[in-house]
Parts: sequence; C-alpha cells; structure tokens
Amino acid sequence: MSLLSITDLSISFGGLKAVSGFNLELAQGRLQGLIGPNGAGKTTCFNLLTGVYAPTSGTIRLAGRTLNGLRPHQIAAAGLARTFQNIRLFPELTVLDNVRIGCHLRTRSTMAGALLRSPFHVREERAMVERCRGLLEVLNLADRADEQARNLPYGDQRRLEIARALATQPKVLLLDEPAAGMNTQEKKELRGLIRQILRDFGLTILLIEHDMGLVMDICEFITVLDHGVTISAGTPAHVQNDPKVVEAYLGAPAGAEEVA
Amino acid sequence: MSSQPVSVKGSGGAGGAPLRMLWPFALALAVAAFMHFVVGPNFNGTVVQVLLFAGINITLAVSLTMVNGFTGQFSIGHAGFMAVGGYVAGGLVYYLSARFFDSPQIAFHGGILSAGADYRPDPDHPLPLLSRGDLIMIGSCLAGGLVAAGAGYVVGLPTLRLRGDYLAIVTLGFGEIVRVIFQGTGPQVLFTKAQEMRDTPLHQLAWKLGGAQGFNFIPIYATLFWVFLLASITVAAALRLKYSSPGRAMISIREDEVAAQAMGVNVTRYKVRAFVLASFFAGLAGALAALSIGQMNASAYGFIKSFDFIIMIVLGGMGSISGAVLAATVLTILPEALRQFDSYRMIAYALLLIIIMILRPQGLFGIREVWELGPVRRLLARAGRGGSAA
Repeated sequence: MSLLSITDLSISFGGLKAVSGFNLELAQGRLQGLIGPNGAGKTTCFNLLTGVYAPTSGTIRLAGRTLNGLRPHQIAAAGLARTFQNIRLFPELTVLDNVRIGCHLRTRSTMAGALLRSPFHVREERAMVERCRGLLEVLNLADRADEQARNLPYGDQRRLEIARALATQPKVLLLDEPAAGMNTQEKKELRGLIRQILRDFGLTILLIEHDMGLVMDICEFITVLDHGVTISAGTPAHVQNDPKVVEAYLGAPAGAEEVA
Repeated sequence: MSSQPVSVKGSGGAGGAPLRMLWPFALALAVAAFMHFVVGPNFNGTVVQVLLFAGINITLAVSLTMVNGFTGQFSIGHAGFMAVGGYVAGGLVYYLSARFFDSPQIAFHGGILSAGADYRPDPDHPLPLLSRGDLIMIGSCLAGGLVAAGAGYVVGLPTLRLRGDYLAIVTLGFGEIVRVIFQGTGPQVLFTKAQEMRDTPLHQLAWKLGGAQGFNFIPIYATLFWVFLLASITVAAALRLKYSSPGRAMISIREDEVAAQAMGVNVTRYKVRAFVLASFFAGLAGALAALSIGQMNASAYGFIKSFDFIIMIVLGGMGSISGAVLAATVLTILPEALRQFDSYRMIAYALLLIIIMILRPQGLFGIREVWELGPVRRLLARAGRGGSAA
C-alpha cells in the first residue's frame, strides 16, 4: 500500500498537454526521483500535487485520502509539503520566523488567544520556538536564526526552505531541485542531509533534480518525464541504460532519424 | 529577533498568567489617565484638540497597518470604515441621549473621564467617574466599531480574492459608496422638535442622519482619556498580533502569497481577519472622532481622507507599528505647527514627504519596529549591560 498514489494525472494549458497520464506510487519511507530535460513537466507535476493547478484529469491520493480539489493550504495540512525551484522564502523575515510560519498550520490557539496572550497560546508559542530551533539545528542554520532570510547565502536559503517545509510536519516532502546553485561541497552535504531527514523524520521524499550524480546516488527509484509523458521508470541503473532516456537528454543517435 | 520584545516583557512579570494577559490594558489605562489628568489641564484648547486628532490618527494608521502592512493588501477605503463608526456612534449617542435624558436640549451627560480639558471641579456638583451618559457613549462606540467590522467582512469576503490595484479600486469604491449612502440619509431630527423625536421609533431615527447637511450637535464625550485609551489598546493589539502565529501568517501573505499557501496558511481567512480587525478599530476611531468634534459630515470622509492614513503608514514604514504611531503623530502636529507660515505650509508639508521618500523609500522604520533597528538595538544592549552592572 503506497502512501502517495498518483493515477493518470494530466493537465492541459489550452492545446498544450503539459503533463499527461502521469502515474506514481510512493511507499512510506522511500525516496524517489523525478527527472527529465528542461520543460518536461516536473515542476508542473509538483504544482498539481500541491494544488497550485487543478488537474484536467486523474487522481492524487495521500494515505488513502483524495487530494483533488483541495486548496493549497488544505493539501499542506493533509501532509504534503514542498520546496520551490526558484526559492520562495519570506525574504524580509528572520530565519526563525520563516520556520515558525511553517509551524502555523499545526497551531491550535485562536486570534483571541493571541491578542490576550492566553496561557495556552504562550505555551504553544514557546513550544514552537523550541521545535523551530531544533529544526534549524538539524539543517545547520542554528546560528543564523536571527538573520533576515534574504541575506543568507544561496545554499543556506535552500536548506531554510527544507526546514520550513519540515516545520509543517509533512508525511511526504516534495523537493524541487534542492541542489540547484550549490557547489560540490554543499551538494555532498545535502546528500547526507536528505538521507538524514528521510530517516530521522520518518519521511517519504519525492525529488526533482538535475544533478544526475546526486539523483543516481540517493534515489531508489526514478521516473523520467519528457514533454509531459513518462518515458521511463525504474532503478537508477535501469533508467541510465534506457535508450529513450539517453535520447531525451542527448537527442537521437546519429542516423536514427533516417531509420525512423 | 522579532518575537523577543513582546514575549520577554510578558513573561518577565512575577504575577504569572493574568498579569501577562492584562498588563497592556493596565498600561493603556495609565497612559489614558496620564493624558487626561496631567497633560490635558496644562494645555489650551487648541493643543488638546490637536492631541485628540493625533490619538485618533494613531488608531487609524495602526489599524490600517494590519491590512496594508501585515497582509500587504492595498486598501484605500479606510475613511469609509471610519465614517461608518462615526455615524453609528454619533447617531446612537444623539438619539439615545434624547430618549434617556429629559432635558430641553441634547447635552453632555458624562462623568469626569468624559469632561473636557477645560472642566474645573465644582465641589457642590461633583461629577461621577462614570455616568449613565458615559455608558451610552461606550455602548455606542462599540456598536460603531462592530458595524464597521461587519462592513469590513462584507467588503472583504468577496473582494479579497483580488490583488493589488484591483483590490485598491474596490476599497476606493467602498469608501465612496459609504459617503454617498450617508449623504442620502434623511434630515436630522433636531432637539427643537422634541415631540417628533419622541414619536418616531428608533429604527426610523436610524435613517435620519442629516444627509448632505451633516449630522450636528452630537454631545462631545471624546476626551484625551478615551482617545488615548483606544490608541493604546490598538497599538497593544497590533503588537501582540505581529508577534504571534496568526500575525506571522498575515505577514507571510505579504512576503509571498504562493509560499504562504504552500506552508498551510489559509490566505483568504487571514486576509479577511486582518480586514475585519482593522475595520473594527477604524470604526471605533471614527466614533471618537465624531464625539470629539460633535458633528459628522460624510463629505469629509472621502478618499482624500483615506489617503491621509496611507501617507502615514507609507511614511512610517509599511508594517511598522511604531513607525505608524510616529508618522501619525508628526503628520497631525506638523500642519498645525506650520500654521504660522500659512500659505507656505502645504508646500513645506509636501516637500518633507518627498524628501523622506527619496532618502528612505521604505519609510522611516521599514517593516521593523524602532527597537529592532540596528543602532537602537546596540544602544539598548549597552543600556541593558550598564543597568545590570550598576
């Protein structure tokens, strides 16, 4: 029984089929990759999963619950959190506040409680700060808690996005190119970090990434998209040797066009 | 560094939960009493009048900060909510006073807290601290605030799906609709027609708000006490909101709406809540404005009035509560202080705004509070060390 189950997911923008017939089964505790050339529809898939776009057809089920038609904040509450390809932090706020906003959806105190500083509200806020500092510790950002998010170096911003997503206590985490813009050392650390949060948080991760070294190393199963269509799926070794994948990335081998 | 100032102060008290919950209200009472009993009697009527407007404008600027500064919605109909509060409270105080006090004209029936700064205690007829008139006034102001909040909800729910310019246009339209509605109300029943006033049921009187002629002879209850009580409570509420989870949810919408949604913030709900809360305080401020000048005239509550408050929060820094307080105070006092230069004062006022916008386009304090700014923080830290060493 898989935790996240996507069946026949499609979306068209006018005449353009951005994603068509996308299927994916993701079991609890697994780490899968989603790769494909630029414009293949990977991020569109994430946007469909998180409710930014409504799919033209298909179903998305998380732990048996259908997510279709839910609004983005409801999907986050259901347990699907994401990071963004083009970083979308809350730039003017501090690192700590960014993570605290991730905690917001699990809070239970009311506006009145906040205005009156009720004992429950105060306890909840304290617990929140503690939890956020813990998350920042894990992501190696603890000493940056009071800095403005926009002043962080690029790699730190990427990790802050992960911390913020973890604060929502997700079942499934969607990482959209977490290694983009990182140097070799940072990528190496990221690899360890992803493995660590997968283990320590009992997470399940779906990863979009262009860095093949990273994907092939940490993913157990990879789905390859091209022009919105799944062209290959399997273990890293299988995908790497699939001629269709090679063609999608490098073009058809010389002479193939005449044959076709 | 954001949560520190408020929560540390709150938990620092030895009295535990009740003290932590209520100390801002106690402080608000202290500020109000200080303004009323110490500041008020020592200045002439003109100065007191300016201070009253400063307090009212602080309330309006801070409440507008909740919408424009926290959630990043651009609302330019704030004067509309102010007018709603003013007419509701003014109408209620006027007509209810006529019902409850059997006097030849509708006059002031307040206690010490509502007595103007020129009041000198008369040992033969001492005023009570709170009178029946005060209770009518408080109830009417709260009614004004609640009706304004209701108006905020009605406008907010359908329109907050709009963004940026479009929302601004709708709120602008709302302000104008309010103005036109009040200008279309029936003629005021004056106290010279006591019989008519007694015979007309209250719900019909509710529509007799003076129309284009304005609503006059509202008993004057708003004193430095009430105005600064409201201003202090508004500031405390805004600060508590800013440094709490619901407030951060609002601020996340300003920072990045898509990311806020993805992190589980119900964007529509928090936009509407900010709008309703801001309208409530704007309604209360409008009520006190009506009760301080004794009349309402809808034509004074058009979009130009709304822009006054926009200018205040832009100048103070969008999202900065202390900035809004400072800007509202300065922009209320400055035009009065420049009055001796008469015809040059509007030029000076405009020039000042232009210069500040060139030097600090993000406003005086940006989105931060004054105690969060780098230099001030260092100063506070040094003072703190010095204090503990001494």
